[in-house]
Amino acid sequence: MDRRTFLKAMTTAAAAAAAHHFRWAGVIPVRAAQDTAAGPALHILNRATWGPTPADLAAINERGIAGWLDWQLDYESIPDPAIDAFLRENAILLQSYEELSAAATVDYGNVMNRFLWVRIIRAAFSTRQLYERMVEFWTDHFNVPAADLLTEKIIDDREVIRRHALGSFRDLLHASATSPAMLIYLDNTYSYSDHPNENYGRELLELHTLGVDGGYTERDVKEVARILTGWGVSDERWGYFGFNAWAHDFRPKRALGELFDAGHGIGEGQRLLDLLAAHPSTARFIAYKLVRYFVSDDPPQSLVDSTAQVFLATDGDIKSLLRHIFTSAEFYAHPGEKLRRPLEYLTAILRVLQPHLSVVNGRWLIWSLEQFDHLPYHWAPPDGYPQVSAAWLNTSALLARWNLAFIIPRSDERWYDGLRFDQAGIFAEARTVGEYVDLAAQQFYGVPISDADRTALIEFAAEGGGPDTPVDDDWRGWKQSSLLGLMLASPYFQWA
Amino acid sequence: MTTRREFLKTMSVGVIGLSPALFPRWTPRMAFAPSSQVAGQRDILVSIFLRGGMDGLSAVIPFGEGGRYYDRRPSIAIREPGAGAGAAVDLDGFFGLHPSLAPLKDVWDAGALTILHAAGSPDPSRSHFDAMGTMERGTPGIKTTPSGWINRHLQTAAWQNDSPFRAIGMGAMLQSSLRGPVSTFSLSSITDFHLNGREDQAAAMAATLSSLYQIAAPTQAIHQHAASVFASMDVLNQLNPDQYQPANGAAYPDSEFGEALKQVALLIKSDLGLEVACVDLGGWDTHEGQGAADGWFAGLVDDLGRGLQAFYTDLYDLMANITVVTMSEFGRRLEENASGGTDHGHGNVMFVMGGGAVSTVYADWPTLASDALDDGDLAVTTDYRDILSEILVNRLGSDQIETVFPGHLATLPGLIQPRG
Repeated sequence: MDRRTFLKAMTTAAAAAAAHHFRWAGVIPVRAAQDTAAGPALHILNRATWGPTPADLAAINERGIAGWLDWQLDYESIPDPAIDAFLRENAILLQSYEELSAAATVDYGNVMNRFLWVRIIRAAFSTRQLYERMVEFWTDHFNVPAADLLTEKIIDDREVIRRHALGSFRDLLHASATSPAMLIYLDNTYSYSDHPNENYGRELLELHTLGVDGGYTERDVKEVARILTGWGVSDERWGYFGFNAWAHDFRPKRALGELFDAGHGIGEGQRLLDLLAAHPSTARFIAYKLVRYFVSDDPPQSLVDSTAQVFLATDGDIKSLLRHIFTSAEFYAHPGEKLRRPLEYLTAILRVLQPHLSVVNGRWLIWSLEQFDHLPYHWAPPDGYPQVSAAWLNTSALLARWNLAFIIPRSDERWYDGLRFDQAGIFAEARTVGEYVDLAAQQFYGVPISDADRTALIEFAAEGGGPDTPVDDDWRGWKQSSLLGLMLASPYFQWA
Repeated sequence: MTTRREFLKTMSVGVIGLSPALFPRWTPRMAFAPSSQVAGQRDILVSIFLRGGMDGLSAVIPFGEGGRYYDRRPSIAIREPGAGAGAAVDLDGFFGLHPSLAPLKDVWDAGALTILHAAGSPDPSRSHFDAMGTMERGTPGIKTTPSGWINRHLQTAAWQNDSPFRAIGMGAMLQSSLRGPVSTFSLSSITDFHLNGREDQAAAMAATLSSLYQIAAPTQAIHQHAASVFASMDVLNQLNPDQYQPANGAAYPDSEFGEALKQVALLIKSDLGLEVACVDLGGWDTHEGQGAADGWFAGLVDDLGRGLQAFYTDLYDLMANITVVTMSEFGRRLEENASGGTDHGHGNVMFVMGGGAVSTVYADWPTLASDALDDGDLAVTTDYRDILSEILVNRLGSDQIETVFPGHLATLPGLIQPRG
């Protein structure tokens, strides 16, 4: 399959929806004002992790919210033994372009599966949860689909996104602009002075920096494309960035109100990137996207504005942006209104069922995301998977969520060898059905559930008996997996 | 050991495809009776979005422009009719179809294919996401419109229809044109539309889930979606899509697009109250290596042409009551780029197929003369909203187009025939 065939998959109704939040008058909202009582600690865990667990709550209660945030932002100092072990077993993911390329040629599926699985493993089980959330954010922001560029994409994930996810936006932008994955995906490596290809130049302005309303013109797009001619894969060393002077347009240009004199090579592109990284429109656009991602589909303007100010004042220091957002009053005014995206939903299930659920082989879990159109690294257009809830909420997707929730707790029924679920061990301290439902609700949702929902769950679990119906081995064998499935499928678990 | 192609094939077919056999299958007992559609009073609309910006100048070639077309596209132009293999299929002596769209010539010869050229959205945006978004909202240039044009049509229609299948979007994500207050339905696969649970607890689980999602008295959008799932599951499970035999020997392409059209055909024939279906075909962003008579673009139009022709053939007996329309967010630049591709442009081609169509190429043709171009691109001389308005008025019984397309004073081209 070549890139063209693959790009056929660009069937993206949501692409158009993604950029804008939908509300319509006279109709019930996507999410009603929150009826749960998530406190500030649970709220920040909901947004800054891949699904809060009782251990996360204990950690934040011990450190305090500010202390927890500092701890997570200083991610390199957090030991991450499970991920280290995984990477030791999958060392191919750490190898050079040449080694990866050779391995992918021999067995593409093996390399792809490891790459997808490590994404899920890191999201679900890394101790560096906030860092992993930011990796996700930038993976979408600088989207490059993996299917036809697997080797380049693995390098891009490692050397661009992961290296700079909590660093400086300027460095991140320069890294992305010199990433072979990006330059091949958006055709810049095929852009020559006689006929520049505008694809990368346009998305650099529209999606990576200024934003579509950032005040640039069609002429700017064309001029930026000329400035960046020659930026591509090295002629001498395939797989690595190179500035190919023969393809560069050395004539003068005018872009974004500035003159770029004749005779400059790679330097004028670097100057352009610096200009973009410090531009007020970029500050606003990145602030807007971060607030939409972490706070609300309908970003509070005051927080967008103040976050943009922080961006300009710190030269795009990403940690400062996050510290500002997570300590703002606006952040704490929007609990429970972000629908978990399918990957988040899956990882939240994995996290709350741990340590009773162990994953021997992630193949089925990886590919279960395909039915949601949320397979990691497989969003074909350059804008990344949609951020807003409305894009992910529809009939087909809801049914698929329920089925995922139903099937994982049943994994001891041998329908799939990749999962082991310890039926006897989970919520072992619950003696009655009432206690079981209360304990599971506390650990899955962190907030109490309504009386009506509690009654409905107990009625199901006790088959008409009351909350005092005993929990014994027979009950666990008969009802437990279905009850867990229902509780993970419930509306409480869909939102963060 | 697997190649990439084999790998992707086995993964996508294997995991999803095996699930019905691996997992017990059951359906909740929730009665659903679709309100009957008033047959024969209005058309069913199938709206097809070609995502990525289709190159209309390669789909319907203005070979009559001569050098003004051929000189700008040295490696990707389609030869004029009669110029041997890979030449355009002549339509009217000036325009011709891409050779891979030859299946549509059958529909054209049957008098049921209107082609509009230099059509599209007046929005000057060359951004995929902006242009797609505002086109589907029906308000070019205005991104804050909260609902889509199709949803507003359903909202303002003079009749009621409580069927959950009233408006369907094929695919895992709902199209923007369908978004809005009227409940709509997104459907990836009829075959997979069932709950996986323990068979012996099926009814009780469905009942509990219905309670948790408050489907009796929804207060949130997610509750409404849950209600739709339950209301439709029984019906979809009875349709047997795997056994579906298209009529009249119609052969859908073996593609996502072909499969989606086939499922729409099945839903139409099942008489479930369907009024509008949206189908997407993506991949048109041909910045490099677009090809001419063969290649990337040719593969896309092949899928499009064979899909539309199969749909027409399959539903031939019902076609007097169906209108199919295609659109794309923008066309592509007249001049090819250094990579043998085309960058984002403006004016484009739309196809209308079905009851109200007459076979003609309709264009207030701006020509490809340098001074007639819009920033290097084919100009838009026919607003796509005018065509859609005429379809809504003449075929779908709308008298509210000023609400469907707010701020637009429609000029009906007099092209789409009123229902007889």
